[in-house]
Amino acid sequence: MNSNWLKKNTFHHSEFKDINRLVEEKERKKIKISLCLPTLNEEKTIAKEIIIMKSELMSRYQLLDEIVVIDSGSTDRTMEIASSYGADVYKADDILPKLEKFKGKGENLWKALYITTGDIIVYLDADIKNIHHRFVYALVGPLLLFDNIKYCKGFYDRPIARGKKKLRPTGGGRVTELVIRPLFSLFFPELTQIMQPLSGEYAGYRELFEKIPFPIGYGIETSIILDTYEKWGLDVIAQVDLERRVHRNQDTKSLGKMSFVILKTFCKRLEKLGMAELKSGFFNEMIQYKLGKDGYQPDIYKDKGFERPPIIEIPEYREKFKAI
Amino acid sequence: MEKHLDKLPSFVEAIKSMKETIIANIVFIGQIPAPTFKEKRRADFFMKRLAEFQVDECTTDGYRNPIGIIRGTSPSKPPVFVVAHLDTIFEKDIDHNYTVKKRTIKGAGVLDNSLSIGILASLPEIFRKLNLRFESDIVVAGVIQSLGRGNLRGIRHLLKTWDTPIRGAICLEGVELGRLNYYSEGMIRCEVECDISPTLGPLQKFKSNAILILNEVINQILELRLPQRPRSRVIIGKISGGSKHGTIACKAKLGFEIQSDSDKMVKSIYNDINDFVFDINHQNEIELKLKTISNLSAASLKYNHPLVKSAGAVIESLGLKPICEPSESELSIFLSHNIPAVTLGITRGENIYLENSTMEIEPMYKGIAQIIGVIMAIDKGVCDE
Ligand SMILES: Nc1nc2c(ncn2[C@@H]2O[C@H](COP(=O)(O)OP(=O)(O)OP(=O)(O)O)[C@@H](O)[C@H]2O)c(=O)[nH]1
Ligand SMILES: [Mg+2]
Repeated sequence: MNSNWLKKNTFHHSEFKDINRLVEEKERKKIKISLCLPTLNEEKTIAKEIIIMKSELMSRYQLLDEIVVIDSGSTDRTMEIASSYGADVYKADDILPKLEKFKGKGENLWKALYITTGDIIVYLDADIKNIHHRFVYALVGPLLLFDNIKYCKGFYDRPIARGKKKLRPTGGGRVTELVIRPLFSLFFPELTQIMQPLSGEYAGYRELFEKIPFPIGYGIETSIILDTYEKWGLDVIAQVDLERRVHRNQDTKSLGKMSFVILKTFCKRLEKLGMAELKSGFFNEMIQYKLGKDGYQPDIYKDKGFERPPIIEIPEYREKFKAI
Repeated sequence: MEKHLDKLPSFVEAIKSMKETIIANIVFIGQIPAPTFKEKRRADFFMKRLAEFQVDECTTDGYRNPIGIIRGTSPSKPPVFVVAHLDTIFEKDIDHNYTVKKRTIKGAGVLDNSLSIGILASLPEIFRKLNLRFESDIVVAGVIQSLGRGNLRGIRHLLKTWDTPIRGAICLEGVELGRLNYYSEGMIRCEVECDISPTLGPLQKFKSNAILILNEVINQILELRLPQRPRSRVIIGKISGGSKHGTIACKAKLGFEIQSDSDKMVKSIYNDINDFVFDINHQNEIELKLKTISNLSAASLKYNHPLVKSAGAVIESLGLKPICEPSESELSIFLSHNIPAVTLGITRGENIYLENSTMEIEPMYKGIAQIIGVIMAIDKGVCDE
């Protein structure tokens, strides 16, 4: 196992705080950088993310070339607020409208590849309460400064915003520690060196993202890691300590659904790599129970596990980006 | 003077086009907790920010008030001060994450006074954008240890140790847009503390009750005959005490302020209260103490002082009506040093002293234009007599 990676490819955000140097490097390489924020009802946090990135990384330094919000059908004022602060706002359904429509974060990230024009794309969850521009410049830093790095993943300690506004530090996320880490340990021990495989904060070169499939929902973070690892190896991946990210707390049931989807994404890849063989296919329903008036009732969550193909295979994309 | 008033409405739009920069500064600063006496992190950030915006000189004075100096074109003119207090009433463990929406910013301390500090930090960039140069140096200062027990220590120190003349000063408060303060009342802020040593057993029932003792103090305060002229009052603002419903209270505390246009009257009311507190103390076998926490002397510009007049004109040129009331704060320290000064408010909002205090974004642009208008007036010489 290559256990050197942790040492060599793990960075701290403070190593990239010289933003001028990053801008110089970006100009020398003649590349553009796009920020994509996927949203579903994030009216409380979206404005601050846009304002801070625009003020710090577009006005003060020219590190970012565009901020794009891709929305999954928010019913609150997310879209209105985002455009009032000058982000380019799209409904996921309106992008590549001829394709069948799906709903989920992965879908938005995939469609962002078509909408954005940058050579580097930075993805940030839109629910970060303590947003700071380091979330962008530190993810971009390794991509700009080290030629071998093509994909960079954020990690942090995870205090959780609790009811009465007190912050309590936690370990890695529960799904990370209870699902992903055991799976990685069993099948890809090298990948355990990635501290927070599920973090929603990462950046990478377009040339990488366009060549891998995107599960439309919760599987996206896991699949990007597995597919990148399989295609290009561990050395193109870096991780950056972003220090602190204030999260909302999720109940165990939603984490269960998330785990269901992740397990499925994972197992599919095991099969494809010939590392395991399933005698029969998967069921598509996650079944949880709730106590109702008439006793226990199943509460069913469906996930067909649909994945978008590498976007480079889509003719409209090839047309737009003149890919061969 | 008329000429610079004409420009103000067009400034409002230009300032608005910088909203991301201004809001980012408010958010970055407001999210760093700065309870009185523990302002260091916020002060450091404020200074770093000024430096990043290429302010000519960024330092702290001997008392660690962070200041930035934007050099003017005429070294012979004394500087213009723009100040806001840096501290807030919120402790460090309160959630300081701000929420920005289309029209509002919500978060602990935003109105008092993080908004003002965020604007101080944005002023250099705003001047650049509007292409403004001044004859005087502009000194922007976030003063520490202002609130409550801080008792305006930061500003007192800054002015005590600043050894050259100051041309005029503007103090900033988050709310209320349109306020124009140019006088402060005399004030003594006091606490009466009653402490009765706990006794055990059957005697407990017969001992004095700290709350009832304070009740007696309150009654006597209410019986004081206060004159209409000079206007004077005692405000009873805080009370706490006791421990359980069924137990006689051993400790209780009362906080109040004596306010008057006349310092002499403040002093004489204070002496009256001191006398009867002394009496009550001796009639009962208890410990009753009157403590002064802070005080201010009354000071004022004349209502027809050119600074007051031109600040009023600036406010009116933006379609607002100036509201004049007395104000304690930094203003009184400038005035007591004979430096012409006014306090201005920046926007509207609600829940000023609560964790969820909320400011309106839109009126702020006028609020900022108004500050620039008054700086221009001082720079043109309205304070030079
Ligand atoms: N769940 C979900 N999130 C979406 C969707 N479309 C966009 N998003 C955005 O994807 C980001 C991550 O979603 P979250 O629900 O916070 O998922 P998470 O980060 O794994 O979970 P948390 O621990 O709650 O933060 C957020 O910015 C969402 O607004 C969608 O269809 N479903
Ligand atoms: Mg999230």
